[in-house]
Amino acid sequence: MKPTMLFWALTALAAAPALAVGPAQTLPVDAEMAAILAVKGDPVKGKDAYDICRGCHRPDASGKAEAGYPQLAGQHPQVIIKQMADVRAGRRDSHKMLDFIVEEVLPAEQIAHIAAYLHSLPVPTTNGKGDGRMLDLGKHLYDRDCAVCHGQHGEGNGEKFYPRVAGQHYNYLYRESRESRDKGRRNSNPEMVRVIRHYTDDDLKAVSDYMSRLAPPRP
Amino acid sequence: MPWMKRKAVPRTLIFGFGVVYASLGLSAQGGDAKLMALVSETCAACHGPDGNSVVPDFPILAGQQKSYLLREMLDYKEGRRHSDVMTPLMTPLGQEDMNKLADYFAAQKPAPGAVSKPELLALGKRIYLEGNTKSGVPSCDGCHEENGEGSKKFPRVAGQHVAYTLEQIAQYASGKRSNGVKVMRTIAERLTKEEAEAVAEYMASLK
Repeated sequence: MKPTMLFWALTALAAAPALAVGPAQTLPVDAEMAAILAVKGDPVKGKDAYDICRGCHRPDASGKAEAGYPQLAGQHPQVIIKQMADVRAGRRDSHKMLDFIVEEVLPAEQIAHIAAYLHSLPVPTTNGKGDGRMLDLGKHLYDRDCAVCHGQHGEGNGEKFYPRVAGQHYNYLYRESRESRDKGRRNSNPEMVRVIRHYTDDDLKAVSDYMSRLAPPRP
Repeated sequence: MPWMKRKAVPRTLIFGFGVVYASLGLSAQGGDAKLMALVSETCAACHGPDGNSVVPDFPILAGQQKSYLLREMLDYKEGRRHSDVMTPLMTPLGQEDMNKLADYFAAQKPAPGAVSKPELLALGKRIYLEGNTKSGVPSCDGCHEENGEGSKKFPRVAGQHVAYTLEQIAQYASGKRSNGVKVMRTIAERLTKEEAEAVAEYMASLK
């Protein structure tokens, strides 16, 4: 039996309960995502597998502020897994990244290891930020609409697949929130799309800038 | 492939390497006469007795990652990488021969590479270290390391001949070369002609 087949065979049982009782019943969790979530991520293996990602997301996983390549260090493993599985399954578009994370380049279980490794990395504070002119508006909107899911300090919630947004690049946050509002980002949480559907571009800029400056204490 | 256009390796070249080989006294290397005969008969004519090929179409093997050398030899033998020259040469080799050859060339000191268009080095350095975020080209250092030495998973590119590097990029882009890590096809497709040339020059300049 090939290792990948063995992997699927072993995870098939684990996947079923995750689909049935997992926290993401409203999200399209498919068999692959459930299987990856069931793997216990190994940061050491993840560091090795991450080398294919470094050319864009950088060795410290700080991403690229100007290009809008997201900062990944310290992100919740479940978030990394969901987003990568979504891109692989075609639920999220990432034209630049897709070829680098297809199964023949990155076997599914490696994603769990990469996610564990990224979670273990310190979050850089040198991320890209906005112009700082609308932070009051940003805080107002964030506290009113965003904190309930993404946390008061932008810490997110891995169990619920809510990304950590604190310390993320402004360009990335602004682009992705705009895409979510305009429904170009197809895997967005529908609740979030509902909340921000009336946001102006300035509202999105303000809240993105505010999030980029959040810095929750590391647990 | 450009080098396929040549009918054969010039006899004078083979003779020349024979002289170099003899004068270097390579039998001193661990005293493995069988290995030295193999290097001499199978590899030296094109790649040089110490893996420092002097013909730009033939890759420099000196200092190359052992894991990469092994994989490529096996891929030639088993048909995953294609060359009318390399495949017949690799076919008779067994695992132990390949292992010894890989050890041997990995241990040789690479000669400094040759830059032919220094005006391209600035662009090449930018692509190598930063990629092109508009077209989605990752930086090369992510896998091949900042100094181009490669790793257990990725080949050394430092000091490599420009012509060879460019030929590989062309083969990746066309799909002719498809062995190893699959991402090179995507990267090769996204590189412009000028970027490819520049990055090949920059790789040649790395020590």
